[in-house]
Amino acid sequence: MALALENVSKHFGSLVAIRNLSLSFDVGSIYSIIGPNGAGKSTVVNMIAGSYSVTSGTIRLGATALNRLPKHRIAQLGVSRTYQNLRLFDGMTVLENLEVCFFPQSWLTFLTGAKRLSKAERLEICHACLAEFHLSDVADVLAGDLPYGRQKILELARAFVTQAPIVLLDEPAAGLNHTETKDMAAMIAGLKREDRAIILVEHDMDMVMSISDRIDVLNYGELLCSGTPDLVRTNERVQEAYLGTTEELDDIRKLAQSRRAQGGLRANAGIVRH
Amino acid sequence: MGNSVIARRLGLLAVLALCVVLLVLVPYLPSYYVRVVDSILIYIILAVGLNLVVGYAGLLDLGFIAFYAVGAYAYALLASGQFDIHLPFIVVLFIGAAAGAIAGVLLGFPVLKLRGDYLAIVTLSFGEIIRIAINNADELTNGPQGIAGLDRANLFGLPLTSPVHFYWLLLVLTVIVCAGVYYMERSILGKAWRALREDQDVVRGLGINTTTLKLLAFALSAAIGGAGGVIFGSFQRFVSPESFTFQESLLVVLIIIIGGVGNIVGVIAGAVVLVILPEVLHFAAQYRLLIYGVVLVTVIVLRPGGLVSPRFNLGFIIRKVRTLWLSPSKT
Repeated sequence: MALALENVSKHFGSLVAIRNLSLSFDVGSIYSIIGPNGAGKSTVVNMIAGSYSVTSGTIRLGATALNRLPKHRIAQLGVSRTYQNLRLFDGMTVLENLEVCFFPQSWLTFLTGAKRLSKAERLEICHACLAEFHLSDVADVLAGDLPYGRQKILELARAFVTQAPIVLLDEPAAGLNHTETKDMAAMIAGLKREDRAIILVEHDMDMVMSISDRIDVLNYGELLCSGTPDLVRTNERVQEAYLGTTEELDDIRKLAQSRRAQGGLRANAGIVRH
Repeated sequence: MGNSVIARRLGLLAVLALCVVLLVLVPYLPSYYVRVVDSILIYIILAVGLNLVVGYAGLLDLGFIAFYAVGAYAYALLASGQFDIHLPFIVVLFIGAAAGAIAGVLLGFPVLKLRGDYLAIVTLSFGEIIRIAINNADELTNGPQGIAGLDRANLFGLPLTSPVHFYWLLLVLTVIVCAGVYYMERSILGKAWRALREDQDVVRGLGINTTTLKLLAFALSAAIGGAGGVIFGSFQRFVSPESFTFQESLLVVLIIIIGGVGNIVGVIAGAVVLVILPEVLHFAAQYRLLIYGVVLVTVIVLRPGGLVSPRFNLGFIIRKVRTLWLSPSKT
């Protein structure tokens, strides 16, 4: 199964967030979408998941066009996701957060019980998933009471528990410390499977470079470059988008030098917005 | 097995025995007290029903009494001289529940996209619309005069005539409703409702149709309200729009808030307190509402989560009893 964006555009009023974007994601790989702030990365994820409508173009999963379907139908067809800001069910236990994913999908199964997992089967799957994500010890703890790092992992588990073929991860490393980020990267790399495409939106370049099979770089809503981590790393246009043009870079270096000479360089003065 | 386990088991047995004895003794109380207990039981049924929507699904419904009215008028129209239709009580009980459910879905559809304050306002209006419609549909309902002389309820040949008869009927129904709601709470449906209360958008992202989920909550809760209304009608043998004012809706919501939102044990406690309180305050007739208000505010200030802690719920009690009985070493 493959997910494809065909000439997709998204306008917010007069702002063009995504312009004629075409991308294809096949199962069996990990993809990363990167780009400077405001490049449209999260917009892409939100369009695929059905949170945003598409202004023009088509998003297809296999032969099915997703972009006219309601959000829950898209999820039922096999697109699951995490969120940029944690969105767990805080007042429910860790186990219940996973169990909810197995709610019967239509009236009919609810009435007839056909195709429906039994409670025992459901619990078995959820417990296996908890074990896989090292959350078994906190199965009965309220999700909101977990430390932040484990909440991030629980959200990851919730996206994978139903074995969805397309998994969208919106900044899984946001807010994690260095060690936790490395663990998260290893965990996601370990989740790569033949029947699953993992699509990652992430700012942590170490993580992106180490686990992605393909990186798509967005800038101002357009595809700047697409390819293997090595290719993207050495691409000049990508460096420009991220760090500014070489002239600008020189200016910054000079400024930094003069500041250093004055002895007044602040630790956080190096943020460059382009 | 130590002495302490035996002592605790005996203690548990004593508590259970006390509950049973109290429930069995109610019929021997003077009629006035039995009526108060009947009233408590009706409000428990209503509040447990409304709790499905307010407590579990997190949708504030201020017009719940409309479903109660639908049930009561179903009995008034189908078991009285009004149109000379005399259906048996048990049949009307199901019709009332079904009519309530339909009304619940009818209310549910237009308010699907609303949340919080807006939902509260629209449901409040719905409750008033039903009452005012009943008040004006003279040919059907006799308007403000109400319908009198409803049939005596009759359950499989047993006539229900005294408050004591209704006590037993209500007790059985309360147990059935509480058990049913408890089962739903524990099922995946209950979990989906709780998830809906926390984050509707994420629930949709998990592939759950939130429309169905909400309508189901409205329908089930309204069905319980409708069934409660049928019993109310058969008990009073008289219905008029006056019984279904906004105050009544508010009382049911208050029972939930004072007792403990989303907690059956809390709802039962809330119903006991809020129904008994005005009766106890009869001695101070003039100051009744004042004292009532002070008590409510005090509870909200001192125990904002309700009288009963969320942890002390039906599941907790059942687990306690079970572990004490089956594997006491764990307690």
